[in-house]
Amino acid sequence: MKTRFFIAAAVAGFTGTLAWAASDEITILPPAEGSVSVEQGLVAWGRIYEVASHPRCSNCHVGDSNRPMWSGPSYGKARPHGMNINAGESRIGAEHIPCATCHVTNKTGGNSGAHMAPQVAAEWQLPPVEFEWNGKSSIEVCNQLRDPERNGDRTCMDIAGHLDHDVILHWAWAPGGGREPAPYSLQEHVNDVLAWGVSGMPCAND
Amino acid sequence: MKLTVNGTAHEVDVEDDMPLLWVLRDELGITGPKYGCGIAQCGACTVHMDGGAVRSCQVAAADIEGEIITIEGLGTPDALHAVQEAWIEHQVAQCGYCQSGQIMAAASFLETNSEPNDADIDTAMSANLCRCGTYPRIRAAVKTAAQKLNGA
Repeated sequence: MKTRFFIAAAVAGFTGTLAWAASDEITILPPAEGSVSVEQGLVAWGRIYEVASHPRCSNCHVGDSNRPMWSGPSYGKARPHGMNINAGESRIGAEHIPCATCHVTNKTGGNSGAHMAPQVAAEWQLPPVEFEWNGKSSIEVCNQLRDPERNGDRTCMDIAGHLDHDVILHWAWAPGGGREPAPYSLQEHVNDVLAWGVSGMPCAND
Repeated sequence: MKLTVNGTAHEVDVEDDMPLLWVLRDELGITGPKYGCGIAQCGACTVHMDGGAVRSCQVAAADIEGEIITIEGLGTPDALHAVQEAWIEHQVAQCGYCQSGQIMAAASFLETNSEPNDADIDTAMSANLCRCGTYPRIRAAVKTAAQKLNGA
């Protein structure tokens, strides 16, 4: 399956050079059944965890505090998002101040200035609270991501499709503003998810 | 491009990535929204777009959707918005630079929470900075405005 997506940067006339505005293309092509060993699957999982635990991803995968984190090389000591921000049970900030007040939905190119509120062509939000993994170990996150009760009832193909369609996730690899991007690339991450899935979604505690 | 601000339709010739704040202040001469930081860290430029508060320094012109309301359009001297009335009653402003942003943020917040407690107000308003430190008066005024909006 080949999926092509063009972020709405294609809006007529926009000629900016902002970080995530370029078109992108993801190929979702799982390895043949039986072609990935458990050992290879665990190696792929190791890379998946490097991505999942990276600040560009884990800062928003927080629990029922509903408080996103500021952490990573450009933030110094890890701490909750400044300004007393709380996304609430809605996870979009509807109860107090919507995330989109500052993280404005931007269909024309995003913003890449240092310290600006990141923007994508979608409503900025935290993932559902069930997907909390900030600070969790590789084994904990691995078991979480293969558990349909805690991964949104997704197969590995579904997870790969989710990575394709959700442009907030794409931002992790092109965060702009001097922020460190998530490791590898979106395509390499999708490939690892598919390989891990074909190998049976192994975890180190099996 | 066309946009509607405080009920008036305008047409401006600007780059797609010009911030809404620039459009308002430099193109339309609507100077209630203030420039504080330019990076969504202070809230002085807060306006309403399509019914919700946004930092106008972060909205690219090409991303403007729906009507824009600034402090000039929230109320009039003869018919103040409840938040503006409360601001006067509590004499909130000191230097006043951040106050239009504070009022626009408070007005938007009270549309979603009509009976806020202190913690709610602090959570909703902490992203609007006031270097004069008028926060205790802001909190009191937001409570009074909530009562006014509830008909008390």
